[in-house]
Amino acid sequence: MRVLIVGCGRVGSRLASELDGVSNEVTIVDREPSSFNKFAERGLFGENSGVRFVVGDGTDAELLRRAGIEEADCLIAVTEGDNRNIMAAQIAKHVFGVKRVVARIYDPIREETYREMGLDSFCPTIEGANLVRQMISEDSR
Amino acid sequence: MYAIVIGGGRVGYYLSRDLLERGDEVTLVEKDSARAEWLESQLGSIVMRGDGDEMAFLSETGVERADAVVAATGDDEDNLVALQLAKQRFNVPLTIARVNNPANVEIFKKLGVDMAISATEILLNALEPQEPAPVAESPPTAKASQ
Repeated sequence: MRVLIVGCGRVGSRLASELDGVSNEVTIVDREPSSFNKFAERGLFGENSGVRFVVGDGTDAELLRRAGIEEADCLIAVTEGDNRNIMAAQIAKHVFGVKRVVARIYDPIREETYREMGLDSFCPTIEGANLVRQMISEDSR
Repeated sequence: MYAIVIGGGRVGYYLSRDLLERGDEVTLVEKDSARAEWLESQLGSIVMRGDGDEMAFLSETGVERADAVVAATGDDEDNLVALQLAKQRFNVPLTIARVNNPANVEIFKKLGVDMAISATEILLNALEPQEPAPVAESPPTAKASQ
């Protein structure tokens, strides 16, 4: 599977290193040139890592094309900005016809709206709150 | 007409000012408080402080009765999301985006924005090599008239 990840933060870099391997070809895009090295230094990308790093704006269709979006089976948008993730994911889905697209959206209301519009997304705010609520309710039993 | 303008930079400021002069009803949305204060000193109480892509805030602007929403911030992704929310959640009939990357003109239309305008694209078109202009007849020089 060819995977394109937009945003080389904690989640993006971790996903890249986990997916990197025999059956996956992983490219990660970030507008900050130093972000890749930051995680490489922490040993996230091993010596034999095949993860490709492209510097640029993941909401720019031309940059995405250069990063190989036309051949990608999957795009994951996990930059720090909700709107950037929403835009990158929609370009992937509606302009390039990428089959599998996932966007991270921190704002629960915005996440709900885009999920209703057919965008596959997840909201760490809701997931985190649910998890904590669960942990607390287990204590009170 | 009631128009909501998101982003009180130069574009949003002049647009709001001229719409007001034309007699339209305008709300100008600006998230930076210092900038909003200055805008208010120029334009009066039409300025609202807040995020144009926050749904709760957007509903405070009376967006459901707006005839048009113009997103004029300097960030294409913020303009896109604000207008998609205005369309999707509040059925605003006319959504217009300022875009910075000319390639986004077509992309925004594909993503449901009614109109997208790029100053760069307009400048590019203006600079397109034209058919050579017909040579203007030169006024008779002193030499020729002799």
